[in-house]
Amino acid sequence: MISKNLTAATTKPLILGILKQGKSYGYLIISKIKEMSGGKMKWSDGMLYPVLHRLEKEGLIRSEWIMSDGSRPRKYYEITEMGKQELIVEREQWVQISSILSQIWDTDLPINTI
Amino acid sequence: MFDLEKSIKKWLKTFSKYRAFSHGSIREMELHLRDHIEDLTAKGLNEKDAFNKAVTEFGQINSMAKEEFSNQIPKSTIISILNTAMIRNYFKIATRNFWKNKFYATVNIMGLTIGLSIVFLISLFVTDELSFDQFHAKQAQLYRVVENQYYDGQPVFPVAVTPTALAPSLKAEYPEIENTTRLFFDNAIFESGESKIVEKSGILADKSIFEMLTLPLVDGSIEAFKENLNAVIIDEELAAKYFPESSPISKTISLDDEEYVVIGVMQNVPNNSHLDIRYIRNFEKYLAQDPDRANSWGSNWLYTYVELTPDTDLNSINEKIIGQIKANNEGSVTDIYLQPMSDIYLGSVDFVVEVSQKGEMIYVRIFTVVALFILLISCINFMNMSTAQSAKRAKEVGLRKTVGGTRKQLVFQFLTESVLLSFIAVIFSAAIVAVVLPYFNQLANKQFELSLLINPVAGVSWGIGIIAIALLTGLIAGSYPAIFLSSLSPVSSLKPDVVTGKQGSGLRKVLVVLQFVISVVLIIGTVVIYKQLQFIQNTDLGYNKENIIYLNVPQDQSELFANELRVKTGIMGVGRGSNHPAYIMSSTSGIGWPGKNPEETILIHITGVDENYMSTMEMKMIDGRQFEHADSAVVIINEKAREIMGLDNPIGQVIERGEKYTIVGVVGDFNFKSVHVPIEPLMIFKTTELRRVFIRYNAANSNQIVASIGEVWSNLVPDREFDYYFLEDDFKNLYEAEQRTSQLSAYFAGLAIFISCLGLFGLVSYATEQRTKEVGIRKVLGASINDLFMLLTGDFTRLVIISLFISIPIGWYLMDKWLEGFAYHIELSIWVFVFSGAVALAIALITVSYQSIRASIDNPVHALRSE
Repeated sequence: MISKNLTAATTKPLILGILKQGKSYGYLIISKIKEMSGGKMKWSDGMLYPVLHRLEKEGLIRSEWIMSDGSRPRKYYEITEMGKQELIVEREQWVQISSILSQIWDTDLPINTI
Repeated sequence: MFDLEKSIKKWLKTFSKYRAFSHGSIREMELHLRDHIEDLTAKGLNEKDAFNKAVTEFGQINSMAKEEFSNQIPKSTIISILNTAMIRNYFKIATRNFWKNKFYATVNIMGLTIGLSIVFLISLFVTDELSFDQFHAKQAQLYRVVENQYYDGQPVFPVAVTPTALAPSLKAEYPEIENTTRLFFDNAIFESGESKIVEKSGILADKSIFEMLTLPLVDGSIEAFKENLNAVIIDEELAAKYFPESSPISKTISLDDEEYVVIGVMQNVPNNSHLDIRYIRNFEKYLAQDPDRANSWGSNWLYTYVELTPDTDLNSINEKIIGQIKANNEGSVTDIYLQPMSDIYLGSVDFVVEVSQKGEMIYVRIFTVVALFILLISCINFMNMSTAQSAKRAKEVGLRKTVGGTRKQLVFQFLTESVLLSFIAVIFSAAIVAVVLPYFNQLANKQFELSLLINPVAGVSWGIGIIAIALLTGLIAGSYPAIFLSSLSPVSSLKPDVVTGKQGSGLRKVLVVLQFVISVVLIIGTVVIYKQLQFIQNTDLGYNKENIIYLNVPQDQSELFANELRVKTGIMGVGRGSNHPAYIMSSTSGIGWPGKNPEETILIHITGVDENYMSTMEMKMIDGRQFEHADSAVVIINEKAREIMGLDNPIGQVIERGEKYTIVGVVGDFNFKSVHVPIEPLMIFKTTELRRVFIRYNAANSNQIVASIGEVWSNLVPDREFDYYFLEDDFKNLYEAEQRTSQLSAYFAGLAIFISCLGLFGLVSYATEQRTKEVGIRKVLGASINDLFMLLTGDFTRLVIISLFISIPIGWYLMDKWLEGFAYHIELSIWVFVFSGAVALAIALITVSYQSIRASIDNPVHALRSE
């Protein structure tokens, strides 16, 4: 189970990353996250929406209501140019953290095994 | 039994407890829940379990609300309303609307532009008038001593000049009076090199003037002012004129043939000063020449200014000093009081002797009101055009409301439109002001400069002022349409009433009537002022002011000068007098005559002339004869004096004024002051000490007359500049204020009626456009052009006629008040009102007709095919 704090920290890159693959709406986004994490990330669904709204306000994503025949109206979110830039920055940071962590763990491992 | 819909509704209600969630986001979450439940039931859960699972996974609402609210905190500021995307949308809609309705937008902008231009110009004028004498740092403590003289059987005689001894005695006796200065206007001949030029607007004043008024020196110092009586302080303009190359300090200059030393250069006194001061000489210099005068209480001839200690109560000091002259001068009928410095320029008292820079509060008020009214007229145009077009906007409003636009947003949208429009108008009017400023300066007799508006300090406040005016105008003009349009309900937007724009037409009519009432009152005002001016200028003054040139000649040479001129061709008469015929201000109560009640003090004006004066001026003798060359100790009285003296047969009677004088004639009353005041008793003495020479010339040779007078001048007075004046011009100057008002009011009235008609034109165009089809059908059914014309114009014509009936009593009342300010004035005749009404009606009819006739004579096929 992934801790709450860590979950919160990853929300932004997760959402931006998902939206980079194409526009989507809230329920679909959350389903995708659940699916990919295999249920390891504990999220209450509702918390997604304030985050989406904040990102929209920051101009990283934009939204529009789409009424299509035969289904419910849905509020679709789409990543903006600014959002894509932000995602690149986020990604670099995560990659750095990951490399730092793996360096530490790679050197730690032999000591532990001895 | 589990009811899914009910449960969802209940769940949603918990959201509405939290203000953080907007309508849209609650809807979004509802849809989330429904999607989730659908998925879960698809996996085999029953509705109840699916709902419970979905709600549990959705999580705690309060922590979400907290999170959502933190998103929104900055939203509660103005930014949330001025949301950029929204604003951009408003602007887009606004510009689209202007574009779609070019005609109406143009009418609106034109009206507002004219209205605002007038507001700008008038506010320049008014602020300048109100700013007079504000530049004195001690302004609040500065006062001028003025007099009320009381004579039996005559109204109070207010005088702004005072005796020489008053200032020192006030300062010595009253601790509240911190400082005093005497001030006397002075002209001097400045001599530098070859040229001798008469400089006006100088003063003689006590040294303390520099402690009281704000007259900063840019060079030199005032220290030497007291010791050296031949010291002079000049302003920068004179310094540049006479000492263009180097500093004038300690240099000498000749004033009236006497050597003076320049000890200081002061900043030019601002235009908005009631005292026009260009150089200052020491008052002690004057007293040194005429020492007896220092203690004189009898003669009122100079201005006394005082500075009170801070916090002195004006009423209490006025009570103390009221009898100061009476206490020192037995038999005086004069009370004194202090007039605040700030009251001098726009003061309501018409002092008999007064400084030349004098404004009129009434004109400041009139112009302010006129400006506001004209702005109102143009705002009304805007309101009417917007509400009349509500039909066009109704659908938009309906649609916006249906998809969730709130009323606030709609109001804001319409206000954006009107503010945008008024900003455009402001920009245009700023351009207009820039172009017409020189003409306006001429009209208003001011020196406003465009640079004033770019000046860093004044410019900023002007910028702010202009933005404020634009905002305010936009808000005023847009508020009613905004409230009206945003109130339309989506359903009613399809109802016929709204669609034809009939809603709100009642108010529209009232506003049109209001516009025309204002316009007609302005027209009436213009006509009355014009007629009164004509009356003044053509009124029989009691002498012939035309074809008279006059000059000031040194006293010892005036007789010779007159005699030499008399033989020249084209000169019909030459007379000498001590006063200008329209400016006799000297008066005395010290004249006695047979049968006079010795208890009474009666003020009689006096002047002196030679034996040719009255025939030259073409004054009419009622009784007796004019002066003859051999006469001495003789006097001629005017009709009013004969009446006051109560002499049935005055010829041969003897009066006393120090010496005895025999009355030889009675001259017909003539206006020797402004026609604002009634004619007063006057005695004309035959004297020889005369400086003014009046020359009646033949208008046919007017060109060569000036040349031949100049010739005589340069022979007799070679060292003085040749300065001459036309008597007629003085009358033009005398009634300059009225003349100016007349011209300005003509412009204003013209513009007011223009803006009103612009609005009317817009309304008629719109109404006609709305009824195109009706007109077409009526025409097909046999209506004549005449019928259709009446149908289309009847409504508006009726409105204009109603406004005529309202405006006539208002105009009558106002102009009656204005005319009371003249001792001699026209009677208000009904024809003035008929004429004004006819003009307004005619202009309105022409306006209304254009569109209506076009619609009436149009081929009905066009009208009916249009859909």
